[in-house]
Amino acid sequence: MSIARLLFEQATRKTTAMAKRMGEQIGLLEPPPPGLPFGSAPPRHVFRWDLDKTYLRTEFDSVRDLVKSAIETAADKQAFPGASALLRSLQQEGHRICIVSGSPTQMRQVLAAKLALDGVAYDEFVLKNNLRNILRGRFRSLRAQIPYKLPAMLESRIGATAPAETLFGDDAEADAIIYCLYADIVAERVTLQELERVLAAARTYDDDAQRVLDLARRVPKGPAVRRMFIHLDRRSPPMGFRKFGQRLVPVYNYFQSALVLFTDGVLTARQVLFVALDMLDTKQFEVSTLANSMQDLLRRGRLAPQIAEQLVSEAETAVAGGALAGRGHMVAEFRTSIAALAGTPSQPFENTALDYVRLVDEEHASRKQRRKQGLS
Amino acid sequence: MHRIVVDAMGGDHAPEQIVEGAAAASLALRGAEIILVGDAAVLGRLLPRMRHDGSRVRVHHAGSYVDMDEKPGDALQNKPDASIFVCADLIAAGQGDALVSAGNTGASVLACAKKWKLLPGIRRAALASVYPTELRRGEKNDPFSLILDVGATIDASAEDLVGFAVMGSAYARLVSKNPRPRVALLSNGAEAGKGPAAVVQAHAILSTASDLNFIGNIEGLDIPRGVADVVVTSGFVGNVVLKMLEGVSETVTRLARYAHKEKLVWRIGLSALSSAIDQLKMVTDWQQYGGAPLLGFEHPFIKAHGRSNARAITNAIKVANKALAGNLCGNIARTMAEVEDRQTRGGSTP
Repeated sequence: MSIARLLFEQATRKTTAMAKRMGEQIGLLEPPPPGLPFGSAPPRHVFRWDLDKTYLRTEFDSVRDLVKSAIETAADKQAFPGASALLRSLQQEGHRICIVSGSPTQMRQVLAAKLALDGVAYDEFVLKNNLRNILRGRFRSLRAQIPYKLPAMLESRIGATAPAETLFGDDAEADAIIYCLYADIVAERVTLQELERVLAAARTYDDDAQRVLDLARRVPKGPAVRRMFIHLDRRSPPMGFRKFGQRLVPVYNYFQSALVLFTDGVLTARQVLFVALDMLDTKQFEVSTLANSMQDLLRRGRLAPQIAEQLVSEAETAVAGGALAGRGHMVAEFRTSIAALAGTPSQPFENTALDYVRLVDEEHASRKQRRKQGLS
Repeated sequence: MHRIVVDAMGGDHAPEQIVEGAAAASLALRGAEIILVGDAAVLGRLLPRMRHDGSRVRVHHAGSYVDMDEKPGDALQNKPDASIFVCADLIAAGQGDALVSAGNTGASVLACAKKWKLLPGIRRAALASVYPTELRRGEKNDPFSLILDVGATIDASAEDLVGFAVMGSAYARLVSKNPRPRVALLSNGAEAGKGPAAVVQAHAILSTASDLNFIGNIEGLDIPRGVADVVVTSGFVGNVVLKMLEGVSETVTRLARYAHKEKLVWRIGLSALSSAIDQLKMVTDWQQYGGAPLLGFEHPFIKAHGRSNARAITNAIKVANKALAGNLCGNIARTMAEVEDRQTRGGSTP
């Protein structure tokens, strides 16, 4: 090989690597989710998290909010109380943490720095490549959630399949619909024909729709999605989510998520109390607001009285044993809030099949309405 | 955090409007916790239909409730688990700080009287009401004056009237943001010697109370003019005055309706005045004022109108929160102690 040719190849490699680095830096080229390293055991449980309004307190209801959010440093960004404590508890158990966010890829550095500041490690971190959407003239995709999040989640599951999944989203966008649709595709409750109709209702570009259908065909099937949480950032009435069934739980805060995960056997009582104490440390929560959160779940039939009783008993043991020294009043407040309901039963759930096309249409209409009112 | 106990079953539009008002208050007041007392099954079904903050609302079950037309004494005897009694119990037990109810007034007053203690120096509680006046007052440009007592008691001694003056002044200072509310005794003449013995004696004591901006006696016609910001009278007189003022206002409305039907020219005239009438309606809108406070107990109680809708309940909860934030009861007790101290030193016991 001539020296000239060697020099030419070296220069080409350097230029390609530099272009790739630049592409990644400006967010045009996004590496695909890494999937599982070769030879490693599949995860027991995957936890998929949205970021904005789910993990991070983000406002993007106006252009000003958007600009503020874009120029904020990692230290300026604020996580919701208890969110990082909950994520850290899940990590301790060796579960897989996958983040799928609608934030643009250009935010990767600052968001990754924020998660690092909070001590949150993750296995996957997928962001939305809006620059590519703009360059391709796909302006509809800028706001679209279903054609972005659904394939991202399917792709992630193909890369690392777990027998159990728990999803975290919020009430700002269409997370409830997307998560249920994902769960039903994976559980084979939604056919490819139905999915095609839903994608059409979501005004998905044809090639994107074909990609989603292909992923849905290939994704490993099973009743994997055990639980979905919708963080009520907009304080939407919880009743609006009842149609999604018992599997989807609207929550006001992460103590409520921890309580439901305790019910699901994912977290121990000790871990639930760890989340509670972390929330108290933020000063944004008090013992009474935590107790009210527990009572709210009991009233809505999302927490069984005997489970609440079990948690309180374990907490009382921890107080007596000194592990929760000085927190006796918190445990007493939990007991008071349970007793205040005098054993009143909650409304039973009815599980009905979801009409996703109608749900997508309704979501479009409500988003249009909100835009008209200047809310988003 | 202020814990505001709300009787969810009291009022013409209970529990729906009460729960809706409380739900809105849970979002509006960051430093308050709302405790809804009533049928937990009903409240548990209503709350999730409304936008609210689930971490700031608690439900406390009560097995029954007092009807709006029920006799208070009978209700207390037959329904000890009625929502209003449970509310008063919770506060007495230290599980709440203030009470809001749109339910049966008699039962509410009785519940507080039976379960709560009066403030030191206060011999009798007083129910205060607001009345729209010509003059506006305070930082908030408040168009209302406060009249008390309007029915918590029948007769009032000179000491009671002094207590009412102190309580009314403290409330006006806090809620209307009026730093020196003008306090007056209602009598049949402006002169100090006019009126029944209790009024004359109260006049003598109040004239020496430097903490109060006592302006002397006023007559009935001075009430709508807004000459005083706080009008002090016995419960019997106050109730008669209030009902008469309400009657006059209703008669004027009926006359206007009659005029509207009767002649085209009058109709045109009324149409021309419509914006002014709307403004008047806005000013006299009791729903924005929240409710009438029952003053004199160790805990604030805001009695919302029986016909209260969600907005009125939200405002009543806000007023209760303000009373707690401004330490209304503490201020009344402090001023009362000062008045008593001055009286003891001056030797002018009524």
